[in-house]
Amino acid sequence: MLSEIAFYGALETGLIYGLVAFGIYLSFRVLDFPDLTVDGSFPLGAAVAAVLILQGWNPWLATGCAALAGMAAGAVTAILNVKLNILNLLASILTMIALYSINLRIMGVPNIALLSEETVLTPWYDMGMEFHQVPVLLFLIVVVVSLILLWRFMKSETGLAMRATGANARMARAQGIATGGMVILGVALSNGLVGLAGALFAQSQGAADVTMGVGVIVIGLASLIGGEAVLTPSTVLRALIACVIGAIMYRLAIAFALNADALGLRAQDLNLITAVLVTLAIVLPGVRTNLTNRFTRNKA
Amino acid sequence: MISATDLRLTFGKGTPLENPALRGMSLTVNQGEFVTVIGSNGAGKSTFLNALAGEVLVDSGQIIVDNLDVTRQPTHKRSARVARVFQDPLAGTCENLSIEENLALAIKRGQRRGLTTAVKKQYLEKFRDSLSSLNLGLEDRLSDKMGLLSGGQRQAVSLLMASLTPSSILLLDEHTAALDPKTASFVLELTTSIIEEQKLTALMVTHSMKQALEVGSRTVMLHQGQVVFDIAGKDREGLEVKDLLGLFEKQRGLEVDDDSLLLG
Repeated sequence: MLSEIAFYGALETGLIYGLVAFGIYLSFRVLDFPDLTVDGSFPLGAAVAAVLILQGWNPWLATGCAALAGMAAGAVTAILNVKLNILNLLASILTMIALYSINLRIMGVPNIALLSEETVLTPWYDMGMEFHQVPVLLFLIVVVVSLILLWRFMKSETGLAMRATGANARMARAQGIATGGMVILGVALSNGLVGLAGALFAQSQGAADVTMGVGVIVIGLASLIGGEAVLTPSTVLRALIACVIGAIMYRLAIAFALNADALGLRAQDLNLITAVLVTLAIVLPGVRTNLTNRFTRNKA
Repeated sequence: MISATDLRLTFGKGTPLENPALRGMSLTVNQGEFVTVIGSNGAGKSTFLNALAGEVLVDSGQIIVDNLDVTRQPTHKRSARVARVFQDPLAGTCENLSIEENLALAIKRGQRRGLTTAVKKQYLEKFRDSLSSLNLGLEDRLSDKMGLLSGGQRQAVSLLMASLTPSSILLLDEHTAALDPKTASFVLELTTSIIEEQKLTALMVTHSMKQALEVGSRTVMLHQGQVVFDIAGKDREGLEVKDLLGLFEKQRGLEVDDDSLLLG
């Protein structure tokens, strides 16, 4: 079974990936824009936050700048697509590749340690709370606030216009919606959330690393799809809650797999497990309907 | 008033598939007119409508709506003046948004969209009123997903959405063509009653000559990207499909070889 520390650790990263899943929900589901920029904007957020914290900035301010940097990266991807007519997937790969160089430039070195620095978590430790519970509580607050803001946004006039853009662009244009602008805004917001997640991840792990973005897109997708399998996303609120549930479920499943000695799995198997989990999450709902159909057919 | 002057547009210029869709199309629609547009396949009906809506930009010519030159404006900038119902019942609405959300999108057509709630309480009464005029019981299903509705119901809601806010012209692109005959006649009746009630200026493309003569106040026929005849008022009264065919042949010295124009 999981130790208490491993359990809280899984919750902590799960909550951070909940923010990533929000971002991926925005791009993949709302805008129907397969965006791989996140593999670059996650470490971008970490890099910006780490460098600014090292320079003595207020950690919340640094985290805010990280989110803005993520938004800028997303905007670049969307502009490549909307204004220069580059295929969306390719545009996002271009930005992702470019960000690898940019992240190295920002950090100057491939890895920055934040262990003895003042982060968003430090004041909470000083309040005398349990060491491993602090990040969970703090990130839970961040996730809930983001969820409520996103939900309200999706219900607003602009948010509705964004949803229409992804669902039926021709209809959206006929209703006077500047669909190009909506795509830019949406992909920027999406990557802003991912940048925020990267910044929080660096602070909770005590380091920023240029390679920490590898596979973020797959984990985010795994969370999104897994969450949707558990909680049918019939409304925006349900879809957003599903993102968080999916992300936490995913991290718990990983922690469990790695901690179960009987399975003989090791940390280096992480990406393989991720791929298997994503495949299962995509395939299982279909299997379930197939089975139901078979049974109902037999009955009839 | 909307006026198009000498519109020209060629698709696939410089390729083996070069296709001149509009070849000097000119048409002026006056305030309050309901014009029906007919023409065989490839006559340029849909392209003309798309050019008016802004979905395609013309190579040359000029489009004026209410004294404003909109020739180079994209669709969303024109949308405050130009309302539209598509041929495909699925195209005019968003199936994964609710009925009230679709209507809330339409009530803001061509206006700035802010961060206030999209589906406002003060809209709901108006939505219910307009939906109940359809007699489809949709007024009690405001929060249902659009995708649950049938094609005819969705087309009826599309019509409502297009007429929810004032426009200079309503473009109807064979909007009954994809429906079964009974539903098609329901949607057509709805169309004429909405246009009459709100005194809208409208341009309706249709594939049926009979329909073109039955509704509206003026009929235009397109052929090879141009207007070949334009008939209104006394000349149009009592006109039948065969008269229309005769007119067409006299004008062009051509035989109509598109059966679909004669049928229906």
